[in-house]
Amino acid sequence: MTFAVRAERISKTFGRGDTLVHALVDVSVAIEAGTIAALLGPSGSGKSTLVKALGLVAPPESGTIFFHERPVVVDGVAMADLTALRRDNLGFVFQKANLVSFLTARENIEVACEIGGTENPRKRANELLEYLGVAHRAASRPETLSGGEQQRIAIARALANRPALLLADEPTAALDRARGRAVMELFRRVAHEQGAAVLVVTHDHRALDVFDVTHEMEDGRILPAHATSQAPAQESHA
Amino acid sequence: MNLAYRDTRRRPGRFVATAAGLGLLFAVVISMQGIYAGLVDDATILANAMHADLWIVQRGTSGPFAEASRLDPTLESRAAAVPGVRRARAYTYQLVQRVHEGTTYRLALVGMAWPDDRGESLPLVAGRTLAQAHGEMIVDASLGMPIGTVLSLGGEPFRIVGLTRNALTTGGDAVAFLPLADWQLIANEAPNEAVQTERQRTLERLRATDLARTSPGLEDLPTDDRWRAPALPSPPIHAILLNVDPSRRDEVISVLERWGDVTVLTHADEEALLLQGVVARARMQLGLFSVILTLTAAVIVMMVLWTMTLEKTHDLAVLRLLGAPTTRLAGLVLQQAWMLGALAYLIAFGIGQVLYPYFPRRVVLTPEILWAAPIAVLLLTTIASVLGVAHATRVDPAEVLDA
Repeated sequence: MTFAVRAERISKTFGRGDTLVHALVDVSVAIEAGTIAALLGPSGSGKSTLVKALGLVAPPESGTIFFHERPVVVDGVAMADLTALRRDNLGFVFQKANLVSFLTARENIEVACEIGGTENPRKRANELLEYLGVAHRAASRPETLSGGEQQRIAIARALANRPALLLADEPTAALDRARGRAVMELFRRVAHEQGAAVLVVTHDHRALDVFDVTHEMEDGRILPAHATSQAPAQESHA
Repeated sequence: MNLAYRDTRRRPGRFVATAAGLGLLFAVVISMQGIYAGLVDDATILANAMHADLWIVQRGTSGPFAEASRLDPTLESRAAAVPGVRRARAYTYQLVQRVHEGTTYRLALVGMAWPDDRGESLPLVAGRTLAQAHGEMIVDASLGMPIGTVLSLGGEPFRIVGLTRNALTTGGDAVAFLPLADWQLIANEAPNEAVQTERQRTLERLRATDLARTSPGLEDLPTDDRWRAPALPSPPIHAILLNVDPSRRDEVISVLERWGDVTVLTHADEEALLLQGVVARARMQLGLFSVILTLTAAVIVMMVLWTMTLEKTHDLAVLRLLGAPTTRLAGLVLQQAWMLGALAYLIAFGIGQVLYPYFPRRVVLTPEILWAAPIAVLLLTTIASVLGVAHATRVDPAEVLDA
């Protein structure tokens, strides 16, 4: 079993005194390569904080985060170049597409390829546009794209450097049911065809059948995971 | 992929408008430098135009431009006789203000030693040098009068036969070059009433002496045409200009320094006196104003660049989340600052080329200004982008996740 990322007893707090909030309390979780996992929970349960921690954006104050079983954050201290780790191994998709507003759809993907050191950024961007079915909007600016198109461009950008871990924070919240379902199916394809570990924060219980694993959070704690996949995760390590 | 260019491309109109605003600001800063250079140039241009190696002025004075310097006209012959002197010319200088066809104009009249000096060394841009001993003059084109214009000075008509460029006084007034005799005619101009009054005074002074009592016929002398003594004294000359044999220059200076009634100045001395004395305060005033303007421009450019960077905070956070190195984000801000500065400089330069001819005083863009200004703009925009760069490099990628 290969874990793309693993958190061991990580904790994080916000505020102090009367306003102290325990966002994460001794959370341990692991995402296996080639699987798609859902992260469920009510608002304020700590889902986004966990995604930020696993995404090496806002490291926890205590506990350890392993990346490919290598400790990269220990008790809030970075043990590696987190920017480089993010660039080379992680992809992010958010509720809002968060495309760079002054770049076209293709350039948004291309710049991610460039930053990641892809040999032919333009070619890779075109491949991803084709893969996600938005090649015809390559030259369009973000504000002229529909919500669904924007989200697909964001996913393409997240896949630009063939990430080992793809983190998605409520990626379908702004989409209608059909488009939301299509995006989830896309994540499943990415996990199973490209061997990436995918963690999706979602409130949409109608699409849970897409996931191999679900994790549920409550009050900064993670509840025991349970498999939901119709197909074993290991079979699709492409 | 050049992110600075792509960001600019998103709203080109706004970028150009911002650059135009900064361009106007730079135009003011560059103009101030040009006005400053013009003032310095104007201060020395007349002295330079005379092509003299040495200036003889009244003992203890600083020369004809800085203060009144009065010399007897016979000094010209004395100086010409000094061994090593190739040429001695009387220099006279007087400002006049007259009205021509309803327009008031000011002229600095400079007398030339006709027939030796007909204006061959002047920076003529149109017309010709003086061809006759009387009634012709060469004026600076800034006066705005064409060749052939006839001006009335000292009760005599003077035809403009040649135009110079940039022959101006330290005050920016046009200079007119005319034969020395004509200059004296104009400088001597006095109303008949003044002449009659002075003759009466002379008579009264004569009557108060024993000589008048013992020789009554002397009373007719002031009005006797045969006496030919002017009622009013002739104007003195203001300096003697010398051209000397370069190998005997020190020898000439040594001789002249022994004369008790004059001071001898080299051309460099004269130039230094002009800059340090005549225009020193104006230079300082303009210099300080230029510094304040430059600082103002720097602060405004800094604010513009900072605002432009703030507007991109979210995009910068996204790029940072994607793993863009700090240098790339800093480069985005810095390159954009340089693009803005370059465009603003071009606009400023264009504005200057269009407007400077309409300025009442000369604006001189010296080669030093022309190469220093782009470097200054580059430095200014680089320094001004510090806040923007600092903001760009401190952007928290978590901001994107919170959005």
